[in-house]
Amino acid sequence: MKRTLAVTALAGAVVLTRRALRARIGRSPLWPLPALETPVSGHSPRRLLRARVTDRGEPADGVVRLVLEAASATDGLPPWTPGAHVDLVLPSGLVRQYSLCGDPADAGRYTVAVRLVEDGRGGSREAHAALVEGTVLELRPPRNRFTLLPAPSYAFVAGGIGITPILPMLRAATAAGADWTLLYGGRSRASMPFLPELAAYGDRVTIAPQDETGLPDLGALARTAPGTLVYCCGPEPLMRAVTEAAADPSAVHLERFAPAAAGPARPFTVELRRSGATVEVAAGESALTAVRRVLPATPYSCEQGFCGTCQHRVLEGEVEHRDELLTDAERADSMLLCVSRAAGGRLALDL
Amino acid sequence: MSNRPLAPAPVTTEHTDLHARNVSFSWEDTPLHWLPGDPFAGHTINVLHLLLPAGERWFVHVYKQVLPYIRDERLRADVIGFIGQEAMHATAHDDVLPHLRRLGLDPTPYTAQVDWLFEKLLGDRTLPPGRARRWWLMERVAMIAAIEHYTAFLGDWVLNAEELDRRGADPMMLDLLRWHGAEEVEHRSVAFDLFMHVDGNYRRRARTWATAFTALVFLWQRGARFFMENDPSLPAAKASLGQFFRAGQQGVLPSAGAMVKSIPTYLSRTYHPSQEGSTAQAVAYLAASPGANGGVRP
Repeated sequence: MKRTLAVTALAGAVVLTRRALRARIGRSPLWPLPALETPVSGHSPRRLLRARVTDRGEPADGVVRLVLEAASATDGLPPWTPGAHVDLVLPSGLVRQYSLCGDPADAGRYTVAVRLVEDGRGGSREAHAALVEGTVLELRPPRNRFTLLPAPSYAFVAGGIGITPILPMLRAATAAGADWTLLYGGRSRASMPFLPELAAYGDRVTIAPQDETGLPDLGALARTAPGTLVYCCGPEPLMRAVTEAAADPSAVHLERFAPAAAGPARPFTVELRRSGATVEVAAGESALTAVRRVLPATPYSCEQGFCGTCQHRVLEGEVEHRDELLTDAERADSMLLCVSRAAGGRLALDL
Repeated sequence: MSNRPLAPAPVTTEHTDLHARNVSFSWEDTPLHWLPGDPFAGHTINVLHLLLPAGERWFVHVYKQVLPYIRDERLRADVIGFIGQEAMHATAHDDVLPHLRRLGLDPTPYTAQVDWLFEKLLGDRTLPPGRARRWWLMERVAMIAAIEHYTAFLGDWVLNAEELDRRGADPMMLDLLRWHGAEEVEHRSVAFDLFMHVDGNYRRRARTWATAFTALVFLWQRGARFFMENDPSLPAAKASLGQFFRAGQQGVLPSAGAMVKSIPTYLSRTYHPSQEGSTAQAVAYLAASPGANGGVRP
C-alpha cells in the first residue's frame, strides 16, 4: 500500500515537473541559458560585406564615382568616420583600398571615386571596366587610419584623386565650426573631381590646376596659427613637400594612395619585454622568424596573416599592419608577427 | 596477465605535420535546405555552425594558455598547428551565419547563448594563481580532448557519408563539412596527446567526458529544435527523436548505434584517437577539396 502511494506520488511529481518545464520553455523557447550581451558568433567585424553598385558617374576625366549599397537588407553597411577607407574585392579577386568620399550621415551608402591609372597594377582598370550599375562585389568594413582629430583650425591639402578622404572632412570641420582652408591641386580642371561641390565653400577653397597656376604654393602652411592640424592626401612628392613646408611637422597627417603593404620590407629591432631579449629582424625575414630564434614556442600557423595564431600585444612602437584579419581596435595594441612589421625602427612586444 | 598498467596505444603511422589551410567558400547559391528533401537532417548538421565558431575560438583561447606547460617539441608543434586549423574552422563556420540570416533564419538568439557558454561559463575565471588556476586550465584541456573525440567521430563520418552525395547535397556545404571533417581527422590525436602530456588523470578524463557529452547532447537537440521551429519555410515543423533515428538508419546522420559505441571507446584505458579514422583518407580529401585549394565552386 505504502509502495503504491510512493510510486503514484513520484509519477505525479514527474508529470507536474514536466508540465511546468514545458510551460516555461513555451514562454521563452531558449530558456534557461543566458545570452552574451554583444553576440560574437556571426557578427565578426572582419567579415566581407556584399554590396551592389547603385550609381555610377564620371565627375572628372578618368575618374569614376561609384555609389555602393548593401546587396541585401540584412547585410547593412556599418557607419564610418571621415578619412575611412574600404577594401573592395574586385570581381577578379584583386583587393584595392579606396577612401570613402560620401557623407557619413548618409547611412547605408558608401561612395568611392577611382582614378584610372593606365600603367598601374590593374585595380583601377578593372574598377573602370567591370564595376557598372548592378554589379555585386564584396568589401571589408571601413577602417580609418587617417582620423580627423578635433582642432580649432585645419589646413587641408589634396592632390588630384587625393581629394576623396578630404571631402567628408570638410563637411565635418564645417559642422564642428572649425576654421579651415583647402588647397586642391591637380593636373587640369577637367581632371579634378568634385569642383562643383567645393564651389559651395567659397574662398576657403583654393583650386590650383597645374596647367593654369603651376605647382600649388604651400607657403601658407608655414604661417598657420598654432594648433592648426594639416591633413594631406595626394601623390608622394606633394606629401613630402607639405611635411617640409609645415610650421609644425608633427601636426601633419598623411594618407597614402598605395597601402603600406606594397612597400619594401626594412630591417628593424624587436624588444621582447617579458623575456628581456632583443632580436634584429632582417629585411628578408618576418618578425615571427626572428622572434622564434629566441622563443621557439611562439605559436604561429599560416605565416600569411590570415589565421591569427601569432597575434601578440605591442607595448611600444608603431606597427605597419600587413594582415587582412585584425580589426582597428585590435590593431591599436597588437599585431600579427608573421606578416606585419615596424613602421619605425623598433617595436616592443609583450613576449 | 602482465603487471603493466593499461596505457593508450597510439598508432604512430597516423601522425602528420599540421598547418592551417586558407579556405574560401561562397554561400550565395546555397539554399536553406541544402540537403534536398530532408530539412531535419540538414538542420541537425547546421547546428555545427551554431556551436563551432564560439567553441573553436574557445579551444584556441585555452590552448594558447597551455603552451608553456608543454615539454615536448613535437607535441608543441602539433598543438600550434592545431590552433591554426581551429582558428580557420571557427571563421569558416562563422561565415555561414550571416547567410542563414539572409535566408530568413537569424541564428543570433541561439549563438548568443553559445557565446555566453564558452566566453563566460567556460572562460577564464578570477582564480588565485597556482593550483586553482591550473586545475581549471586542466579541466578545460580535458574537456577539449573529449569534444575532439566527437569532432573526429563526426569528421570520419562525414568523409564516408556517401548518402549525402546520393541525395544531391549542396556541393559547397558538403565541401565545408568535409574540409573541416578531414582536418579534424588529421589532427584527431593532438587534443588527447596534449591532455595525456600535461595531466592524463583517468578520473578527470571520465569526468570531463561526462560533462562534454551531456553538454553536446543538450546543445545539439536544442539547436535542431531551434532550427526546425524557426525555419520560415516550415511553419509547423518540429524536431523529434524519431526523425533522428530514421536519418541515422538512412545514413544522412550518424547512427545512434555508432554514437553509443563511441562511448566505451573513449573511456577505454588503452584508447588512443589514432586507432580510429584514416589520416590518409583525410589528407587525400584535403588535397582535392575545392575550398582548401583556391575556393572555386565545386
